[in-house]
Amino acid sequence: MTAIPFPAQFKRETHLVNGVNTIVLSAGSGPPLVFLHGAGIWHGVNFAVPWTQKFRVIVPFHPGFGEAEDAPAMTDIHDYVMHYLDLFDALGLDKFHLVGFSLGGWLAANFAVEHGHRVERLVLVGPAGLRGKERPKGDFFLLPPEQIPSLLVSNFNVIKPFLPANPKDLDFMGDRYREGGTLARLLWDRPYDTKLPRYLHRLTMPTLLLWGEEDKLVPVQNAQLWREHIPKARLETFKGAGHLVLDEKPEAVDAVQRFLS
Amino acid sequence: MRGTARFDFMHFMPYTQLPQNHKDYHSLWVDFPNKYYDAKEGHALYQRYMAELVLADKVGFDAVVVNEHHNTAYSMMAAPNLIAAAIIPQIQNAKICVWGTPPNLEYPNRLAEEYAMLDVLSQGRLEIAFPLGTGMEYWANPVNPSNARQRYRESIDIILQAWTQDGPTTYYGDFYTYRYLNPWPRPYQKPHPPCYIVGTGSAETVELAAKLGFGYSAVFVTKQRALELNKQVRRSAAEHGHQIKPEQLPLQVITYVAETKEKAEEEAIPHIRFFFEDALRTTPTFLAPPGYLSVAELKKRAALADKLHGGFDFNNVNESFFVAIGTAEQIVEQLSDWGEQMDTNHFNLLAAIGNMPHWKVVKNLSLLGQDVIPRMRGRTPVERRVAAE
Repeated sequence: MTAIPFPAQFKRETHLVNGVNTIVLSAGSGPPLVFLHGAGIWHGVNFAVPWTQKFRVIVPFHPGFGEAEDAPAMTDIHDYVMHYLDLFDALGLDKFHLVGFSLGGWLAANFAVEHGHRVERLVLVGPAGLRGKERPKGDFFLLPPEQIPSLLVSNFNVIKPFLPANPKDLDFMGDRYREGGTLARLLWDRPYDTKLPRYLHRLTMPTLLLWGEEDKLVPVQNAQLWREHIPKARLETFKGAGHLVLDEKPEAVDAVQRFLS
Repeated sequence: MRGTARFDFMHFMPYTQLPQNHKDYHSLWVDFPNKYYDAKEGHALYQRYMAELVLADKVGFDAVVVNEHHNTAYSMMAAPNLIAAAIIPQIQNAKICVWGTPPNLEYPNRLAEEYAMLDVLSQGRLEIAFPLGTGMEYWANPVNPSNARQRYRESIDIILQAWTQDGPTTYYGDFYTYRYLNPWPRPYQKPHPPCYIVGTGSAETVELAAKLGFGYSAVFVTKQRALELNKQVRRSAAEHGHQIKPEQLPLQVITYVAETKEKAEEEAIPHIRFFFEDALRTTPTFLAPPGYLSVAELKKRAALADKLHGGFDFNNVNESFFVAIGTAEQIVEQLSDWGEQMDTNHFNLLAAIGNMPHWKVVKNLSLLGQDVIPRMRGRTPVERRVAAE
């Protein structure tokens, strides 16, 4: 596993959660802000640095992704909800802001549906999880792996520094294949949750939906699906940004900060 | 070589009437558009291929072999049991090997039933293999590649339980629940037909074959690797208390016989080229859906793929794989050598390779039946019946 580069102010801790070694990055002080990453975290957490001025930012690696250990027994999103109940207890986090991106947005929505009393405010950034009307959008597995990095962003230069010089770098390829395997355990059978819409009305906390207008993975049109079920949620979209809207647009990072402040 | 040599004829039944522009497609598997399948051509090919399987029986082969693939021009046997059922009444002596349906792509009770039906229909001439299936099958079927091996393992358990225990029994697994596992009919052979594991040499499948005392056949691995695997299967099986017999380790050999070595090469190589360059053409992603391989195995294969780029090279194929092309004498010698080295007497001949035309397949099978098989068995040739029919 190649180490993930992360900004110097983040400290890195290992927590053994129900038998799974989990790495947690944290920085800053203030009210806790938990960020749940997407189906890969190789593009780092630089975007989260501004948040550390006002919040205690906590970025756990999901089991089977990044530096966290594999947990083959975790085979659905709810297993990850249970994992985070354990981890948040271990971290002594009672109430916190929850920001979830992509797969992490799906996970954050599930966590908040079940344990809403612990979530002060919720931000869903390009969340996966609802069945869109168009394909291949929303199905990560239909994308040729070599095209994924360029499909994630509107401006390729944003993620270029995080990619290996050699596109056939075996370690990078192996790491991504491992995360693809984790993702397959979770959502090969169905890359969406047919039950989630039934319970989204439970998201009664202030909720922000944030989207890149050029998102090629989870298209911005999906925002409407979410708003059908959580009509009070605010939606902010950003021109010139793809799926990795937080990496591409400082204004998006700022919008999260303003919403949570 | 221990024991009497056994010869199988394996057919892949490719759809060979490809469009002119087929090389524009990165794969003949998974997403190669099925608008290119012409059912009239398909019908003619089925007729021809089944006649070739029947011919193999007539010229003295011990078994015919069919297998399963999906979404591909590589093979028209999406359901090999259908082909087996169609040829059983036409095949007098040879065994029918379905090598086979990936058991995790089918309901296990249904597969136990279908195999039992074939065994009963053929009066106990069925042999089966349990492949995990290529990565490509997982893009075509609604089965999760990330737990394919666990589901595969459970499916085999259920099938063996159905065959070895009087029903009804129950099975409460991670993937399947059977309240009344009681399939009718049951196999003709007791307790069940001979079983093999077919694989590309992953540690898990080798260990499984050893544990169950099944035969093992490594396909598309190098000669050196096949040798190691045979030794490994024998060793591990012994640890589990099974003694693997030579006939349980079929050796897959691309074989073509002609009057001279030069003629054999001239007649066979274009079709071997088609087989490797076109029929097997697919993408790394289709070969390795997420979770199907371990990360270490993925990296190993990716490194190898990088070294193999640059297209078809017959010398490379000839050196890496078991390829016997030449006169009958040369083939007898070659197969005998490999039989000794690999400690097997079971040869599974790919004698209708790629887009080989019917006349070459007929010639190949006839010469194998007349000049190779009898010599290797130390017997006189079976009467040549081909010309008469």
